[in-house]
Amino acid sequence: MSYTMFSAFEFKRKDTYIHNLDPRTKMFMTLIFMTVALLFTSIVPLLITFIATLIPVLLAKSVKEWLSSLKGTTMLLVFILVINSFVRDLNFAVAMVLRLIVLITAFSAFFLTTHPDDLAQALIQMKVPFDFAFALSMATRYVPTLAREAQTIMDAQMSRGLELQRGGLTQKIRNLIPLIIPLIVNSVRRAMSIAESLESRAFGAIKKRTYLYQLKLTKGDFLFLCFLIMYFVTMIYLKFYFPFTTWMEWKLPL
Amino acid sequence: MIEVADLWFTYPEGTIALRGVSLRIGDGESIAIMGENGAGKTTLVKHFNGLLKPQKGTVLIDGVDTREVSVAKLAKKVGLVFQNPDHQLFSSTVEEEVMFALKNLGFTSEEIKERTNWVLKFLDLEKYRERSPLSLSGGERKRVALASVLCVKPKILVLDEPTIGQDAKQKRKLGELLKKYQEEGNTVIVVTHDVEFASKYFKRIVVMAKGKVIADGPPNKVLTNPTILNESSLTPPQVAILSYEIAKKINNFPKDIVLFNDLLQEVITRVKR
Repeated sequence: MSYTMFSAFEFKRKDTYIHNLDPRTKMFMTLIFMTVALLFTSIVPLLITFIATLIPVLLAKSVKEWLSSLKGTTMLLVFILVINSFVRDLNFAVAMVLRLIVLITAFSAFFLTTHPDDLAQALIQMKVPFDFAFALSMATRYVPTLAREAQTIMDAQMSRGLELQRGGLTQKIRNLIPLIIPLIVNSVRRAMSIAESLESRAFGAIKKRTYLYQLKLTKGDFLFLCFLIMYFVTMIYLKFYFPFTTWMEWKLPL
Repeated sequence: MIEVADLWFTYPEGTIALRGVSLRIGDGESIAIMGENGAGKTTLVKHFNGLLKPQKGTVLIDGVDTREVSVAKLAKKVGLVFQNPDHQLFSSTVEEEVMFALKNLGFTSEEIKERTNWVLKFLDLEKYRERSPLSLSGGERKRVALASVLCVKPKILVLDEPTIGQDAKQKRKLGELLKKYQEEGNTVIVVTHDVEFASKYFKRIVVMAKGKVIADGPPNKVLTNPTILNESSLTPPQVAILSYEIAKKINNFPKDIVLFNDLLQEVITRVKR
């Protein structure tokens, strides 16, 4: 389970319009989708946003990867649906599920199509200090490694008779201890050795770095940004200056 | 008994790891599975205890299809020791680490005590009983990982790369222990790249390449065959090289000796004559 969830956010090299966009453009896209998703609480505008987020996923030919990211969060989505139906009503619950789907889609559209190194370079050109940008790109780079390691640990402990599904809730939580401890110990050990190998290659010796690549916005980026801004302005207009439309507040026929 | 018939396995990302493997492993055998990286060795042994289920073909353990039983159930019969001990050590003492599998598999507290004592003695770990497994050296950690599986006394013991990072003395000790365990009537299977280790302690060598079994037989037949060695990126054992070179110079000297004692014996009888 854990493995498929992580793999959905793992960069896959492909040659598509979305993959070739500047990371800053895609960052802006995710930011806009996120803002819009958080502005609305009713079904129709969230559905429109969901369809909008699907466009980059389709253009990036990453539908399969995106679907597996959703599959990994099915439990969470069901949980949100049930809790919100009890606390508020079904309309609100469906809207909240849609909101989370939009957020997942927006973020996976970014991470699936952006190489960690490009992300770091984008941050550097946005005046983020090199150390922070580097740490972030290292962190993203190690997500799949960690997922694979978790899988191996799970296999090793299952070979010793560990059954994750056994027992009540407290037992189920205790079942995770044999997985979590080796994972943490190995991560700390790995972090230490990465630090040592960075030091031995004179990390941070020169304050002002030069870069082999410079990111540049292209015509394609500007086109994409235009659509994003048009979409954003429309949604803002609908939210604040056009609040009395009935179709926007459409409810499930119950 | 392990019966593998026409086993195929493809990983989700598309790598075809096994392409029609068939293999019969009888009770009490000692087998080394060899072959280059990515040949499918680890994938194959993960099928023995049901961690991976066959996508095509079957794996029967004592006549039971692995698809029909849980890993925990098979774990009583098939013990699988992973390559890296750090992927499984988590307890605060060596003793607790060993007891983990026994508790999971539902042994009584007397059995747990008895088996823990037995395995710590068998693997010479008694002095570390109260130590934290994480504070031990690499070789010792590997021994604790072995103990944590061996305590179950599985009829079939499988080890993935047991000799990596072990010094010569530890390797010899490990070889002797595995031999002893096998002679008590258990099946011992190792996955290894170490030809010296394999030829010295194992009676049957299974060589894999590109998801298939390309050779299966006694060490002196398999590990002296240039075609097989070449196809599987293995180097022959030093003794085999020597016997091969002698055979080039001396008429009807056997080319297929892999054990030092056998070579020595051959040379001595010839000198005496």
